[in-house]
Amino acid sequence: MMKNILILASLLLLTSCLDISAVMLYGGPGEYNFTNASLDSIDHVDESKIHRLQTFSDQDTIEILYVGDYSQIESDTIILYLHGNVPSMDGYWTTVAHIANIGEQHRYGVMMYDYRGYGKSTGTSTDETSLASDYESVVSWLQDQGLDRDRLIVFANSIGSLTAGPAAAGGSLIPIEKLIMETPQSSSAIIMQNSTGLSLPSSMLTNFEFDLSVDMSNYPGELLWMHGVLDATAPFNDAASAMRSHEGSYFEEAIYPSAGHALRWEIGNEEWDRVLLNFILK
Amino acid sequence: MSEVYSMIDFVNELFTMKLRILFLVLLTALLSSCAPTRVVAPLEKGVIQVGTTLGRPRVNDGSLPLVGIYVAKGLSDVKTFYVGAQLTSLYLGTIQLDGGLVKTVITPNGMIPGVSWSYGVNSFVSSRDGAFRLYPETGVTAYWKFGPHILNATANTWVDPTWYLSDFNKGRILSPSFGAGYRFRYKWIELQAEYKLLNPTREMYIPQASIPSTQGLGGKGWYWGAALNF
Repeated sequence: MMKNILILASLLLLTSCLDISAVMLYGGPGEYNFTNASLDSIDHVDESKIHRLQTFSDQDTIEILYVGDYSQIESDTIILYLHGNVPSMDGYWTTVAHIANIGEQHRYGVMMYDYRGYGKSTGTSTDETSLASDYESVVSWLQDQGLDRDRLIVFANSIGSLTAGPAAAGGSLIPIEKLIMETPQSSSAIIMQNSTGLSLPSSMLTNFEFDLSVDMSNYPGELLWMHGVLDATAPFNDAASAMRSHEGSYFEEAIYPSAGHALRWEIGNEEWDRVLLNFILK
Repeated sequence: MSEVYSMIDFVNELFTMKLRILFLVLLTALLSSCAPTRVVAPLEKGVIQVGTTLGRPRVNDGSLPLVGIYVAKGLSDVKTFYVGAQLTSLYLGTIQLDGGLVKTVITPNGMIPGVSWSYGVNSFVSSRDGAFRLYPETGVTAYWKFGPHILNATANTWVDPTWYLSDFNKGRILSPSFGAGYRFRYKWIELQAEYKLLNPTREMYIPQASIPSTQGLGGKGWYWGAALNF
């Protein structure tokens, strides 16, 4: 009798089986007040160079922020910034404005977008497929504006690595030749194993599988990895194993023993800028 | 100004995500030791106990709800068999079942505690791709029995025979837990409360969350249970 009850309960519950990725990648509202009012004076941008645009990913609208001149896209270096797991681009406005002024004011055009379900982008991010589709729609737009492979720099922060990894490993419409990984998450399995202490595969919770080790071993281009040893959100040792799988044309790591996940705030703008600019100009 | 916004960014990253609570529930649903110690003092021969459990491992400032059910039967006065299932895991697409035996090694006598030894297995099957894991477990419990009141102190460990499948060589063969609790067993009812230290031999991480630990290691929390005896 009890056996039958258990089986029945199992079947009933499995019909409503939940996939963690839909939750893990759950965004939130976005205001998109991209103005100097919310910036430190040193990061002020020319507000005429702040542009919002949209592309379409499958049936969903992807909201994009571009800081720079459109004309730069066909002639100059563009940094595509893949933000971390915050509700929307709002949380990274200060960072993108800062990057726009790295080296000199508006030295580089900087683009950021909200994954579907984040901010005002419609739909729901579900897995690597939806992230790849969103990325492709943005890169396709950049390609249409004249961007080519030797002028694209992809900069991924934290969970932005979930998009950047497969893209770098051959999944980008414009092949990536320069990649910056800042405090990246390393694999879906290790997230599972770090939180359970057991050798459980990620398929126990989700269909979503990402493995940055594999991606980096298949990425032939240049890589800069920045990480704090005290990072408890994206553990340093896991990221190290993944990033050091890279066998491409150039590898540089900037490791900070006393820093955590909020790397820029903890190492300071001066050091952050120095490392980035050296890599960009290399 | 920059400090203010750096803090805003940081807080955004860590605390303002909508996913927060649910994500934590999902990720830690499979923590080893999802329930109180199933049986600390063997049941009398022929007694069947049907129970439900609620694990509350702590994350951030709260606790998680890990719900399970189990059935135990006294095979003799010194040996009890049990099987259980984790309903939270089922909801997430993993069939997590456990079963085992609890044997009296030393019978309690007044202030002299009894000792029971348990051993069993925990199995996980993913409904997504059929991935399977089996974790044997064994534990020792010291218990004091005063009428309907039972106090216990338990040391238990899961054994991970597939530790080598963990990414980046981070697997561990043993995942121990330690608990202390109280049970009220009277006629047809048993109430259970136990505080457990989980896996206190390794650092546990959940992205964008903190796990209250013991000197930086493992997790901890209260575990509850209620059962009927037939």
